[in-house]
Amino acid sequence: MEKGSLDMELDPVTFEVLRNAYVNLVDRMSEQIIRTCYSFVIYNRDFSCCLNDASGNTVMQGTQDIAVHVGTLHYTAKAVLDFFEDELYPGDVIIINDPYLGGTHFNDVRIMRPVFSDERLIAITQTNGHWADIGGPVPGSFNIKAQDFYSEGLRIPPTKIWEKGKHRKDVANMIASNVRMPEDTLGDMRAQTEATRIGEERLFELIDKYGLDTVVTAFQESQNYVERIMRRRISELPDGTWETEDYIDQDPNAEEGLVRIAVKMTIDGDEVHYDLSGSDPYTGSFLNGSFGSSFSAVIAGTKTFFPDVPLNSGMYRVIHATLPPGTVVNAPAPVACTGFCSGAYEKIMNAIFELWSQVLPERAMACSFNLEYLLVGGKDQRSGYGGKEFMWYDWMAGGWGGRVGKDGANATAPVFGAGLAVQPLEGQERGAPVLTTEHRLVTDSGGPGKFRGGCGVAKGALLTEAGKPVMSYCADRERSITWGILGGLPSIPQGVVLNPGAPQEQHLGVVFSNVPIRAGDSFTRPSAGGGGYGDPLERDPERVLEDVKDEYVSLERALRDYGVVVREVDRELAEYEIDREATEGERQAIRENRAMWLEEDPEAVAKKFAEGKIDELDLFRRYGVILDRNTNRVFQRTTRQFRAMLKRRAVPFWT
Amino acid sequence: MIRAGVDVGGTFTDTIIFHEKTGKIDITKTPSTPDNPAEGILRGLEKADLDFSNLTLFSHGSTVGTNALITRDLPHTGLITTTGFRDVLEIGRATKEDVWDAYKDVAPPYVRRRDRLEVEERIDYDGTVVTPLNEDQARNVVRIFKRRGVKTIAISLINAYMNGAHEKRMRDIVEKGHPDAFVCCSHEILPEMFEHERTSTTVINAALAPVVMEYLTDLAKRLKAKGYGGDVLAMHSGGGVMTVEAMSFYASRIANSGPTAGAIAGAFIAQQCGFENAIGLDMGGTSTDVSLTFKGKVQTTDEWWVEYGYPIMFPSADIKTIGAGGGSVAWIDEGGALRVGPKSMGADPGPACYGKGGDQPTITDANLILNWLAPEMFLGGDMKIVPGLSKEVLQKRVADHFNMDLIDAAVAVEEIAVANISNAVGLVSTAKGFDPRDFVLVAFGGAGPLHAANVAKTMNIPQVIVPPWPGINSALGCLLVNIEHDLSQTFITPAEDDVVPDLERKFQEMEEEMEGRLEKERIAKDAMRVDRSLSMRYTGQWRHLSIPAARPLGKTLKGVVEKFHQEHRRVHAYSDLERDVQIYGLRVTGKGLVQKPVFPKIQKGDAEKALRGKRAAYFKEEGGFVPTAVYLRSMLGAGARMEGPAIVEQMDSTIAIPPGDVAQVDGMGNIIITVGR
Repeated sequence: MEKGSLDMELDPVTFEVLRNAYVNLVDRMSEQIIRTCYSFVIYNRDFSCCLNDASGNTVMQGTQDIAVHVGTLHYTAKAVLDFFEDELYPGDVIIINDPYLGGTHFNDVRIMRPVFSDERLIAITQTNGHWADIGGPVPGSFNIKAQDFYSEGLRIPPTKIWEKGKHRKDVANMIASNVRMPEDTLGDMRAQTEATRIGEERLFELIDKYGLDTVVTAFQESQNYVERIMRRRISELPDGTWETEDYIDQDPNAEEGLVRIAVKMTIDGDEVHYDLSGSDPYTGSFLNGSFGSSFSAVIAGTKTFFPDVPLNSGMYRVIHATLPPGTVVNAPAPVACTGFCSGAYEKIMNAIFELWSQVLPERAMACSFNLEYLLVGGKDQRSGYGGKEFMWYDWMAGGWGGRVGKDGANATAPVFGAGLAVQPLEGQERGAPVLTTEHRLVTDSGGPGKFRGGCGVAKGALLTEAGKPVMSYCADRERSITWGILGGLPSIPQGVVLNPGAPQEQHLGVVFSNVPIRAGDSFTRPSAGGGGYGDPLERDPERVLEDVKDEYVSLERALRDYGVVVREVDRELAEYEIDREATEGERQAIRENRAMWLEEDPEAVAKKFAEGKIDELDLFRRYGVILDRNTNRVFQRTTRQFRAMLKRRAVPFWT
Repeated sequence: MIRAGVDVGGTFTDTIIFHEKTGKIDITKTPSTPDNPAEGILRGLEKADLDFSNLTLFSHGSTVGTNALITRDLPHTGLITTTGFRDVLEIGRATKEDVWDAYKDVAPPYVRRRDRLEVEERIDYDGTVVTPLNEDQARNVVRIFKRRGVKTIAISLINAYMNGAHEKRMRDIVEKGHPDAFVCCSHEILPEMFEHERTSTTVINAALAPVVMEYLTDLAKRLKAKGYGGDVLAMHSGGGVMTVEAMSFYASRIANSGPTAGAIAGAFIAQQCGFENAIGLDMGGTSTDVSLTFKGKVQTTDEWWVEYGYPIMFPSADIKTIGAGGGSVAWIDEGGALRVGPKSMGADPGPACYGKGGDQPTITDANLILNWLAPEMFLGGDMKIVPGLSKEVLQKRVADHFNMDLIDAAVAVEEIAVANISNAVGLVSTAKGFDPRDFVLVAFGGAGPLHAANVAKTMNIPQVIVPPWPGINSALGCLLVNIEHDLSQTFITPAEDDVVPDLERKFQEMEEEMEGRLEKERIAKDAMRVDRSLSMRYTGQWRHLSIPAARPLGKTLKGVVEKFHQEHRRVHAYSDLERDVQIYGLRVTGKGLVQKPVFPKIQKGDAEKALRGKRAAYFKEEGGFVPTAVYLRSMLGAGARMEGPAIVEQMDSTIAIPPGDVAQVDGMGNIIITVGR
């Protein structure tokens, strides 16, 4: 940074000390939450903490915070300030979970404490934790069938749970009485409240030491600091406009066909503007995004390309987003949007990844797998469990997109929050009559590419002594399959299979609710791998060989996706070899034909599939055809859109 | 009667030799020999002219395990799992250490996928066999591993912590089919719930066993040949030592043993000076380690790893490491903030003043400008220092940028470094419910004693101890520990009185095993100390707290539950007396008490004798350069008293005593600084 461009009011030492002290303050709030929480979702790190200034702007957000809460906490702080105006007092604690006031979804419950110094509001300490349940018709409060929020769960507008230092037992009880696990809920309310108190305590220590004015000045300076860094970074980039689109599988209220989320990014001087105006109207499923969650996706998507820049409202001064109301990225109340995390959210993020991959090619990354949640509920009839309700609530890791010079990461938490841990099955088996049958990487799930996508995961289970079990699923990308870039190919479709391998095997899809199943039924589902980066025919055959040895890639797909002919030497010793000559021939044949495959009549392709001449991966990787997985009927419109996508992301980069 | 403590670090092997009769202490530093650490250890001992036949105790810590993991210099390792679960090791918890950087990945697993083989079997959550072990498959897997030349095998089956029968049988099959391989089972290494954590620990154990055994066996042989007749003791991460025999079973515990030994030395020095509570601060060239001792016990954690994603679930000293050392760089980031660290110039090229091409100002350069460090004292005068270079780079890279005076820039660097270290001190203390005012700060390392008083002032820690040999704390720690083992087991039940008989029975089983282990290590009954504790939490909570329990438990758990509420209040600032409490696990620790060395008293003498002269050093409390007394550590006698501003110099460290602080030398030669308010 050149001399003289600094207009800080604080000396460099005080500023640096306070800036770090704010990081430390927020991380200590996080530490408190993880050590005392009750919700297993919070425990697996679906929570965030921040320090807001007196106007609600974020001064610092936790270093390990989950992406999905980024860019939303200042909105809820502001909503609370707007609502209470001058009726906030020392000793107040406020709860809010309203997605229509800048929040994400009902399960994300924010608890915040206004901090006063001599009667003057100086800051807010805020925590956001994903509660395991927030009421409504479905355990876990993910009601796939909801069209509006009335049938989702409890909406909490700005509400005091402590007032002037006195606990509002009545209010806490009202909330706890509307959710499935009132005891845990009260515990989490307490854990989050205490965390905000710890933030307040630490802030008072800083005020004692540095004085109120200095501390408050440093709130602003911290935001100016982040703003300066972002402006500087962006001003070094070329101006221009980049566009792309990504899709949700379908709108259940409309005909088959992908639902478009269009993202146009403009870099103008030292600011970035995102315009999502080309997106489709909101859908009849709860995968819609609210304003807050979609803004979060914009920020989190951008931040991924600036991983070292700290997060606060300074960043929001530089990044702007147009999110037109009424679209799938800004559904107004009372439209349901609890499932945004599997729907609009990661589509926006991945689209933004693709755009930045063009601006900063050294950090390019193809599409990553889509967040998915599976829920099995019923009565636990094992001896000693007394027939009580159980909830097997599970999410998986998956593959991330291929990168320049590097395959995508295998089995990693969703881009929605790379800190979201998967649950240990040994713990789950104690809590539910569900016996896990597998938790493994899926061979061939990584999207083929010069650098392939990371592998996805399969997790399946058998229902043992379960009474009246039902299953719900919240996911996406069964049709809008995780895509590659710069010539790379798609991964695999997501979706639940009931009784895999048995005669009554059935595809249940990616969005369903309260499907009755029976004790003795088994199920499994894969998470997608990442999309591929670059032309798979340019992948070094040695890398394909190593993948075959480790069964990340099968012999069969080494041939069909990469055109690499690998021969088995001694399977027991994991010894294989490449037939170089045959590989050359195979690669040439694929090169010559692949553009034509995408023009073949989809019905003819479906017929080949039905006759067993091509397999499921060929369907969409080679022919770009999307079928109904139970009936094998071609989705015509979806197929057209999917092929257009391949022609944009893959074909132009093939040689 | 001679005792030897050795710390095998990445670069140097430090040795401390204590002659009990004469009280003489010899210290040596020799280059480490990573190919065979035994080599460097022997050299260190020989350099000190050790009389091996009079050696009564040899104890050492090492980074061998840690280095082998980081460099992947591991023997061909195989993993056997339940069908469907060979990827548990690779999937882990699926989180990233750096949640935002899409190009920073979790390290690849220690066993490649091709070497993770499955056998059909299944045990459920309460230990019932759902699918019996398919012995044909088991034999086949072993045959394949043998063909592949796999040298060491980890067995980790689902729910084996509830029932180890299948793992035991599997091991028998390995031992029969591939008798040359080392083999270990998860239910024996760590009978605790959670498949990834248990598998990760077992795999690391299997992979390290041959590595650790190779050099330990060689070391034992060489020491014996030299005439040493005692046990070869190795430090483990939990803060005790084990014999070679035990270490062969628990190889993964050798990782982190060096820093743990350092933490123990901090606890010991504090205790020697009459403090039960201590914060250890070890600042070297690139980083600072901070540890905490409460009521004489070094705080431990079960959550640590050498590489993120592969936890080692044995207790280890809880050490917070930050990138702040003498070589840490002061720089200005894009946002215009002055930063210090974590970038470091290390030892080569090192700080600008080394004149080896370092073009970035470091903490050491700033301290040199303030005249806290004397150019002629670096490495005991063996190193040529160019103070002009320090001034040049700090002026150019920091002072000019902020239109600051050079001296103000040096002060700014010092203050930010102190603030960063203070934040780390806060993370081990205040963040965990400890009040720094109840602690003493023990300063180690080349750079620790220079900044300790300022850190103490920032954190309201009343006193600082600088031990006589601040540079060899890990080697010293190795001399000070007991033989120590711990056993843990998952056991989930409400904390109600009717489970007391079950708990008592479980504890007794564990204690029996513990006593057997200590016996194997040739510990006499009266030198054994066995303690038990319960992991407890509020029903519904996820994390637990460790609460000491009486042996035997008695009739009721009321006392333990009450202690749990108190501990929850202490650590988390609240408790909830109405909530049900749950027991999560049992832990038994066993110690074979090793007699501690009693270090000699030093001669009395006042400070005047050690006064080397005065130089003008900068202290911000004085607002400028002030005449500052400079003392030679080696000449200071017991009872010497020094008032700040003062500087004490010794071969491997420099101590700054800022204005307002008072330092006193105690009978053992420790310098105790009382921080002025």
